[in-house]
Amino acid sequence: MNNYLDLFTSTVTQGLIYGLIAFGVYITYKILDFPDLTVDGSFPLGAAITAVLLTHHVHPYLTLLIAILVGAIAGFITGVLHVKLHIRDLLAGIITMTALFSINLQIAGSNLVVTRSIHTIFTSGFLSDVPLIYRKLIISLILVLAIKFILDAYFKTKSGLLLRAVGDNSLVVTTLAKDKGTVKIIGLTISNALVALSGAIVCHEQRSFSSTMGTGQMVFALAAVIMGTTLFRRLGFVKGTTAALVGSIVYKAAIQVAINLGLPANLLKLMTSILFVIILVYGNFQRKEVKNNA
Amino acid sequence: MKRKFKIVSFIIVMALFVSLISGCSDKEIPVIGISQYGEHASLDNCREGFLQGLMDSGLEEGKDFNLDYQNAGFDDAINTQIAQSFSANNVDLMVGIATPSATALYAAAEDKNIPVVFTAITDPVEAKLDQGNVTGTSDKLPVSAQLELIRTLQPEATTIGILYTTSEPNSISAIAEYQEKAPAYGFSIEAIGITMQSEVTLALDTLIAKNVDCFSNLTDNNVVGVLPSILEKTTDAGIPVYGSEVEQVKKGCVASAGIDYYQLGISTGKIAAQIIKGEATAEEIPYETIQEYHVYVNSEALNEMNLELPESISNNAIEVHNI
Repeated sequence: MNNYLDLFTSTVTQGLIYGLIAFGVYITYKILDFPDLTVDGSFPLGAAITAVLLTHHVHPYLTLLIAILVGAIAGFITGVLHVKLHIRDLLAGIITMTALFSINLQIAGSNLVVTRSIHTIFTSGFLSDVPLIYRKLIISLILVLAIKFILDAYFKTKSGLLLRAVGDNSLVVTTLAKDKGTVKIIGLTISNALVALSGAIVCHEQRSFSSTMGTGQMVFALAAVIMGTTLFRRLGFVKGTTAALVGSIVYKAAIQVAINLGLPANLLKLMTSILFVIILVYGNFQRKEVKNNA
Repeated sequence: MKRKFKIVSFIIVMALFVSLISGCSDKEIPVIGISQYGEHASLDNCREGFLQGLMDSGLEEGKDFNLDYQNAGFDDAINTQIAQSFSANNVDLMVGIATPSATALYAAAEDKNIPVVFTAITDPVEAKLDQGNVTGTSDKLPVSAQLELIRTLQPEATTIGILYTTSEPNSISAIAEYQEKAPAYGFSIEAIGITMQSEVTLALDTLIAKNVDCFSNLTDNNVVGVLPSILEKTTDAGIPVYGSEVEQVKKGCVASAGIDYYQLGISTGKIAAQIIKGEATAEEIPYETIQEYHVYVNSEALNEMNLELPESISNNAIEVHNI
């Protein structure tokens, strides 16, 4: 049964690392009600900058901080395009995403590979007695949980509460004499910083950057967030971030099961769509039941 | 209602579990995990050749090895998950067809130091697959032979147009080689880099407007993927297109000095067989660069372009037909 434990381990690791994108999309889509397509560009941006820094022997953990910073800038730009230059939300994201495609290639030159001789956050000496596959799980678990708790704490601060208010009822923000535009920019900045961090960790994990790796990440994260929040709809005490993380793991697990079943690649996306439908329908039934009981 | 859902979800979970168990393979027989980047005629030829190479070395499927074949459908996220699933399932040997698959496999193989064999990679050094527990075959384009072929078929030509993807390391090193060798044959190269498939048409129009005398293809996935639409435009403009391998000639390119990917696969299979038999480790076997080529011609396409096939070529060329 050893290989199923390994399979489980690597799938959860994937779900955790990609879960950071789900955090980001949770903030923009669920909290701010902003369909942010910057994600497809800021994810490879994090990976591109990390790949370049790693090949120049920058300390692995420092690359994560730099990735967070450049991701934040990308989100900030989308925010400014939307709020200050009054470009529609969807378009603002598309503009930044498109620009980032060129910028990523400019940063990395072409698709890059990080050789095994270069240390990543997973091989830099921490926990070096643990087999690599488990080390990857432990390190990503620590990183992702740390981010999750920081986010949860942030949502309780004044700035965090304003963020939630903008999505729910932006009038409240205005009556509090706060600028909802600024709040949106803050939300987009945080969101894309997280997405770029995810890209950076993925680059550490798979030791490569490819210009097309961002394609479909927004859709994945949206699916993860919606699946997660639907699954936990009735359990009010489960935090949105937890739900997004679980959604991400479920999504990656579904693909892993499909691969292990030997489904052809062309059918993999269909499999996730079916899973999506099952969970949504499940959620809808739950909601009806709550109404009937009331 | 609630109960019904519990039962349904229980059944789904059980079904998934059972399917996982049934996918369990016998540990006695070594498992070869093949990851192919996408559906693509040359890559398919590589895979079939690979299996032939294993058979030629006396290995029989089901007895000496089991296969786990996966195809990523050109999706990077799935490509990674396939690699990780191989690593988690403790396959004994990983085979990557095309650069993205091989790099993903090699990264995933790090966990357990599983040997990786690659094929259909133009530049293993650039892809950082030249050292470590990894070996394979490289499909270096026979650029000189291609230039000579073009010179023979079009004695008057001066410029060759090439489209390539800027993010594919394979294409970048091939372009560099074209630019280095073209002057010796009296050609200049007009190359346009693109970043995605949708830009191919625009770049193509630009090159046609620049009056290039012919086009030559690389093994660039984005460009080759839309070859039929390229050929439609170039045929209208009366500009011949030279392919980089036989499958492109079958689609309507006039000719090609190209590698036989089936042969490439066979060489790869033989390398893999050495590792499976325990005769050598991947670390000990240096990667092979295959530069033997055949000249393929498509008479229908040649006629359409009013090109004469000189006897010096037709004697050795392999005639292929439109499919």
